[in-house]
Parts: sequence; structure tokens; C-alpha cells
Amino acid sequence: MKFSYKPSPNYRNTQTTTGIMLDLSMCLVAIVIFSAIYYGVAYGPALGLRVILMTLVSLAASFGTEALYFKMRGYDVKKEVMHSYGWVTGLILTLITRLDVSYYALFIATAVAIIIGKLVFGGFGQNIFNPAAFGEALIMNSFSASKAASVTADVFSGATPMAAVNSQGWMLSGSALGNLIDGFGGFGGLLLGSYPSVIGGSCALLILLCGAFLLWRKDIDWHLSVTYLITIFCLSLVVGLIKGAGFNYAVFNVISGGVLFGTVFMMTDPVTTPITIPGRMVFAVGCAALTLILRWKSNLPDGVLFSILLMNMVTPAIDKLVDGNQIKNQVQIRRKVIITSAVVLLAAFGVGMTLDPVEASAKPAPSADTQTDTSEPAGMALEDFSANNVACRVWSNTDTAALVYHCQAKGYEGTNEATITLNKDEGTVTSIEVTAFKDTAGVGDKATAAEELARYEGATINSSIDATSGATFTSSSLRAMAAKALNMAAGN
Amino acid sequence: MSILTGPMNHHLEGHKDLTKHENVLKTIDPDKVYIPLMNGNAPCKPLVSIGDEVKVGTKIAERNDHFYLPVFSPVSGTVTGTEKFMTSSMSQAEHLVITNDHKHEKVRAFEPFDYEKAEWQEVLDFVKNAGMLGLGGAGFPTYVKYLNPQNVELFIVNAVECEPYLTADYKNIEENIDLLKTGTLALFKLSKAAKGCVAIKEDKTEQIAALQKTFAGTPIEIRTVPDLYPMGWERTLVYQLTKKRYDKLPIEAGCILNNASTAIALGNAIENGMPITHKYVTVSGDALNHPQNVLVPVGTKASEIIDAVGGYKEGTEDVLLIAGGPMMGKTIPNDKFVIAAPNNGLTVLINRPKDEVKCLRCGRCTETCPSGLQPVRIQMSNAIFDEEELMKLSLMDCIECGMCTWICPSKIDVTENVRRAKNFVRTRMASRAKEAKK
Repeated sequence: MKFSYKPSPNYRNTQTTTGIMLDLSMCLVAIVIFSAIYYGVAYGPALGLRVILMTLVSLAASFGTEALYFKMRGYDVKKEVMHSYGWVTGLILTLITRLDVSYYALFIATAVAIIIGKLVFGGFGQNIFNPAAFGEALIMNSFSASKAASVTADVFSGATPMAAVNSQGWMLSGSALGNLIDGFGGFGGLLLGSYPSVIGGSCALLILLCGAFLLWRKDIDWHLSVTYLITIFCLSLVVGLIKGAGFNYAVFNVISGGVLFGTVFMMTDPVTTPITIPGRMVFAVGCAALTLILRWKSNLPDGVLFSILLMNMVTPAIDKLVDGNQIKNQVQIRRKVIITSAVVLLAAFGVGMTLDPVEASAKPAPSADTQTDTSEPAGMALEDFSANNVACRVWSNTDTAALVYHCQAKGYEGTNEATITLNKDEGTVTSIEVTAFKDTAGVGDKATAAEELARYEGATINSSIDATSGATFTSSSLRAMAAKALNMAAGN
Repeated sequence: MSILTGPMNHHLEGHKDLTKHENVLKTIDPDKVYIPLMNGNAPCKPLVSIGDEVKVGTKIAERNDHFYLPVFSPVSGTVTGTEKFMTSSMSQAEHLVITNDHKHEKVRAFEPFDYEKAEWQEVLDFVKNAGMLGLGGAGFPTYVKYLNPQNVELFIVNAVECEPYLTADYKNIEENIDLLKTGTLALFKLSKAAKGCVAIKEDKTEQIAALQKTFAGTPIEIRTVPDLYPMGWERTLVYQLTKKRYDKLPIEAGCILNNASTAIALGNAIENGMPITHKYVTVSGDALNHPQNVLVPVGTKASEIIDAVGGYKEGTEDVLLIAGGPMMGKTIPNDKFVIAAPNNGLTVLINRPKDEVKCLRCGRCTETCPSGLQPVRIQMSNAIFDEEELMKLSLMDCIECGMCTWICPSKIDVTENVRRAKNFVRTRMASRAKEAKK
């Protein structure tokens, strides 16, 4: 009999790191499948397939990069790749990328995220930044032009909730926010994710379900995620109430954008977050404050990604902050957590106080003249554009004088799109710019010529604009859009 | 426990059913016993010489430095020499060899004693002279705890037995519940405590009922504690029962604790006049044919016990032989060591390879550490020999309970790394003390 020696204890839990990563991968794959189905059904099977292909490209990049790296370093490739968990980075990176990012950009970003984001630091367990967030930051900063144009046109013609709110400076009055949320199918729509966004970021319910599953399997720690969500909710509630955006503002802040995905899949990455529970709570509060500050004040569409990257940088400092015996130094540690959190929250609150809520598409103050004009509906106000299936969305409302709408309406063959700028006070069209022309080339485009479009300038809802001869259907779609925008601006 | 700390304990799969309902094997009567002349780190002086006849209960050695501890012969026979080999705590020690004549002749080590009528001082002297020591594993002389009991609120008999696989205390209580009562009441008197209790895990329902029946009408309560590890550790148990923490000794929180086996041994000394000669030892693990408890003379070799219970499973070639349970017991690289008085288990596990991966900093070790430490931070600071940071992490509070290694999903030997860090700091401190002397 051989009596081996191993240091005590010789008894171990059944949970393994690989098991944790497999659970995580399972959830991520579930979200990929959901997204493929959603895009496939809503925008056609080709785009559903694109979700799958993008995932495969990213996975190929992560496996390929790691295999090559370990081969060059002379390690046992299969063992190291299986214990480096690069595919999780690939999956997360795919899910936080927009569908119109080119395969090429995604491939490069994944490879760079794996090498620069992880391997050069010493591999799994040593990296400072969340590799997936690192990769996405790379895509946003270096590949913003590398897009599949047709996908952009098909899927991202309208604004995402993030872009829509961002264009309003992330602070709207209660009614304006209500309109915006209704534009995406209300809270139900936001929860189900029936709008285009990053690939994996839309279905809040599915993400929460995955979070619950991971908590049940004890794969992630609840302290961080729950603290983060509570902080985002409370901070935006307080600021929202003071600024008149109301309760919905807090709910919108939590369920829109990358908040849920980020907190379930990225902030719970133990490698780049503090080790102790007090540390994680400080991290969560910091992340929440930065998310809101970036939403409010940066020109990024969402703040979650960079809040994670910024807090990753201070993780070692947070670890140092709460070091020590967690029982004997409990009072000091609690004090440190409270003071740090309070300072961070106060700073974020201060930033929130500088915001100006944007009113619900302000009605032009009617003057005596226009009142007589509008008393009798005339011109476009009397026309029936129902066949054009017209829809408009507020694109920008920051300028005090201008109000920009993004509209679409059916022409002859397809749906044309235009950006329409209105003069708020006068209730007139300042300019109309066709962003997507889908009718017959050489026929319908007569109506979109610059001199034809110039005829819209200064038009009110009661103006009559004649159709361009030979391009009646296209003209009709343009006039429908103009009328719709003018009607919306008038609050009708 | 607060929201900022983790649970600081965890439920472990106990594997106690392997031995809990098996009979205790009492027929082991080795030809030779080897009594370690060592208590803790202090040597014991032999009081007999080679060729002397001894009987069961003859005083054969004593520790007599700042503590006093007599050692008694567990068998009758002849002293045939001393041998030096590895003990169950992996240090080298002299062992007094007694050749057993299998006659089981006894001498009454002490006169009958009525602790109820005796003065407090007399009880203390009895405990001291009877050689009572902590049988939970520490082997600390029992009387020392009771030298100056002031403001003791709670006297606790620890029958938790949280170590996986071990059921020795359970079987001991099952068979000697009246001795437990005697010993507990004597110690309770000694502690001058306001209240007394027997703490036991809530899942041992049958034994709880038996204890409640036995202790009915006495001031001793039966308190149940959840089935968590390390619930049997003094600090965790005191916190569970009183919600108080203490710095060094439980007396600071108004508590005195003793193991149930110790109370039973004292009961035996009071009622039968016999010292600690035999030990209940759990022999269990997945490498054995018939895991069961045994009652053996102190000084029996591990190899003899394993042979007596039926040996290793067919086809087992590589095992971990652990003196104690798998969490805190040390793996001994041979089977020649003997059962000393504080030992209560032999766990034999098949040596399986483990698949260690890199630390993912999940922090689960910090959440389950019953001492409130951050084993992973200690491990990292030790890797760069940062002594200052190690002291800030108060690594000397580690009791090596093994929780951090148990919970680690990456299968890293976290406890061992903390142990190394402790050794590193100790070495540094010692060399500095040396420098200072020069």
C-alpha cells in the first residue's frame, strides 16, 4: 500500500471553476439563441443567421488566438485553452456588440481582447480589465465605421431606446419619457426586448432568468449585482423625482441598455472585481454612479461598459481599502464602505442636479395670427396618409429652437426614410433630408431632388404641397412624413 | 455575520452514516502499545524504567513544566523500551513501549470521588491528577481552563463533532451517556457558570432526545446548532450560542468549553476511578472495506486498527491515511503512527488526482473563512513575500480549519498556502528576534 502525502484538508467541494464557466456559457448561448430567433423573426432569417455567424466568428477568434498563443509559448494547448475560458469572453463580446458590426471588426476585437486584455497580464485570473468590455471598447473606438451597411439600414434605421434618450440628454419630463417608452412598446416591450439593441442586451426578462439560475447554482455572488441595481434605481429615482421625470425614469434606467446584462454577466466576473463582499459593494456603488454620470454627461450611448472598465482599474485599490480581518475590523471596514459609497453617491447626485429635463415636445406658443390660421384645418391637415403607414420618432430635442424627427413612410416599392427638422416656435418645417430611398431609381427620386425638397421649407400643417409630377408615390410618402412630424410637434 | 461578511461556515457532506449505525469494535488488544511521551509540544518524563511491570491505570509518565499532566498505562504488561517515530501530528517523538500480557489487570488509579460533596478546590485537583485533557483534538490539560473561573455565564459541553466522517463522539455518548452526565455536572460545578449546556448538531435527533432525558432535572440545557462546518470550533460555537466574539480565550465572552469525550472521561474517572486508557476512534473513508468505530487502548498502531476493521478495499493501491477527519486531520505518509489520547479518527481515502486551475479571485474562501480572513489575499501577498501586508491581513488568526481549500472551485491548496505564509512570517519574526539579541 502506498501512503501518499497531501496537505490537509483532503476534502473538497464539488463545485469547480470549469463548472462555473460552463453554467455561464450555457446562459450566454441561451441568449444568443433568443437573439437569433428575435432578429430572424423581426428582420428576416438572414439577420437571425447573422447572429449565429457573429457568435461563431468571435468563438473562432477566441479559441484560435488562445491556441496560437499557448502553442507559441510551448504549453499543452488543449489543457491550457480549456482552463483559460476564452470562449466566455468571445460569447460576452458578441452579445454586447451591435448586429451591424462587421465580422472583421468583431474578429479583430476578440483577438485583441484575448491577447492584450487577458493573456499578456498572465492569463486567466490575472487580467485587470474585463476582456469582453475591453474588446467592445475597441470596437466602439476603432471600428465605428466598419459596419455592414445593409444591416444598419434594415435594423438600426430607428433609434434604440438608448440613442433616443441619449439624444434628449438622458433627462426628460415625465410625459416625454412616457411617450418615449410607449414608442418601444412600453415597459413590457423593454422587458421582452422587442427592439434592436446590442445583440444580447435587449431581453431583460431572459437576462434576469439567467441571473437567477447562476445565483441558484452559486456561480455568482448576489451582493454586487443587487447593490448595483439598487443603487442605480435609487439614485435615478431621487434625481428623476427632483427633476420631474418621475418613477418611470428609475425603472427605465434599470431595465434599459446594458445595465442588466452588465451586472449579471460582466460585473460578476470575479477576476476583475474585488475579492471581499465589502469591496464588491463599493465596486457596485462606484459602477452605478459612473453608469449614471456617463449616461448623463458623456456622448456615449450607454455608460455601463465604461463604468465597468473604469472600476476595474480601481479594483486593487478597493481590495486594499477593505483588507484586514473581516470580523475584528468589521466596524472600520463598514465605516470605510459607507464613507466611500456616500462620497461617490454625492458626486453622482451633484452631477444629476445639473441636468435640464427636456419637456414633452413643447407645443408652439400660439400667436394671434397663427391661431386664426390653425382654426380652420387646411392643406396637409385634411389629407389622408393612412396608406403610407407613416411613423415618426423624436430624434433630437436638445436645441431650444429645433426639433428633429426621424420618420419613415411607405412610398411605391419600399419604405422611405427622412430626417425632418422643425422650427419649434413657428411650427414649420426647417428642412427635410431623405436618409433612405427605397422606391424606383430614376422615377421616384425626382421627388427627392434638392429643389423639390426645398418646397417643404417653411411649410405648416395647413400648407398644401403639390406632388412632384412623375413621382407621386414618393412625394406622398414625403408629405406623409412631414405631416406626421408637424402633427406630433403640435401635440396631436 | 452581517451583510458585509459571508456566512463564515458551510454545510459539508458528513459521510457519517458510514459508521454511525455500525457496532463499535472493542476486541483490539495489541501485543505492544506505544505511549507518546509528548503533550502538545512539551515532552513528558517517564516514571517507569525498562523491565518494570505495569497494570492498567499505573502512572507511567508526567508532564511537569508550567502545566501538569500525568499519563497512565492503558494495558497491563512490561515496559520494554522507548522508540522514536512520527506521531499523528507529524513530529518526531519518543514513545514508551509496553508489551501487553493480555491479562488486563487493573489498579484503581484514584479513590472513589463524590464531586457533589467535594470542595471546588478538591474537584480541580481531581481533574488535574486524573490526567484529563482535551479529547477533541487539542490535548490541552483540562484543569488549566478552570484555574480562575470568573464571571462565567455559560459552560458548554461540545458534542457538535462537525468534522466529516467522524462519529467517535457520537458513539461514545451513545454508550456512556450516564458518564457524560456525571462528568458534565462535575465540570459545570468547576466552571462556577450561571448556565450550562450541551451543544449538539440538530440533525442528531435520536441523541438529542436521549440527552434531554438524561439531563432532565439538571441545570444543563441541550442546545442544538445547525449542521455546518466548523460549528465545533470554539469561536464559531460560542458565537452561535451567545452571539459574542472574543479575542483570545472563550472566557472573555464568559464561556468555558470542553469536549463531550473529555466530560465522559472525567465521568469515568469519578465513577470508576480509571484514567484515560482507551479511545473511541472512527475508522472510515472510501478506501476501507468496513468503516466502523473502534475502542482501542491508547498507543495502538494505526496499521493494526486498519487490519482489525477489515483492511483496504480490493484494488486500492494509493491512499491518503489521515489522522483525524479529512478537514483538519494531517495526512501521515506511513501507517506506523499510534493513536494518542487526543486522536479520534482515522480516515482513509483513495488518493485521487485533482485538476487544479488558476485562481479566479472569486473570494469564496473569504466568505466562508470562520476567522474572517482573506485566504486568497494572504496567498497573493505570500507569493511576493509582503510581510507587512500579511500582518495587516492578520494571518496568524488562521486555525487551518481547511474551509478555504474545501470551497475553492479552482481546487487550489489554499490552506496549505496560508500555512506557508504563517511559517514565512514566523521565520522572519524569529530571525529578527535573533538579530535583536545580538
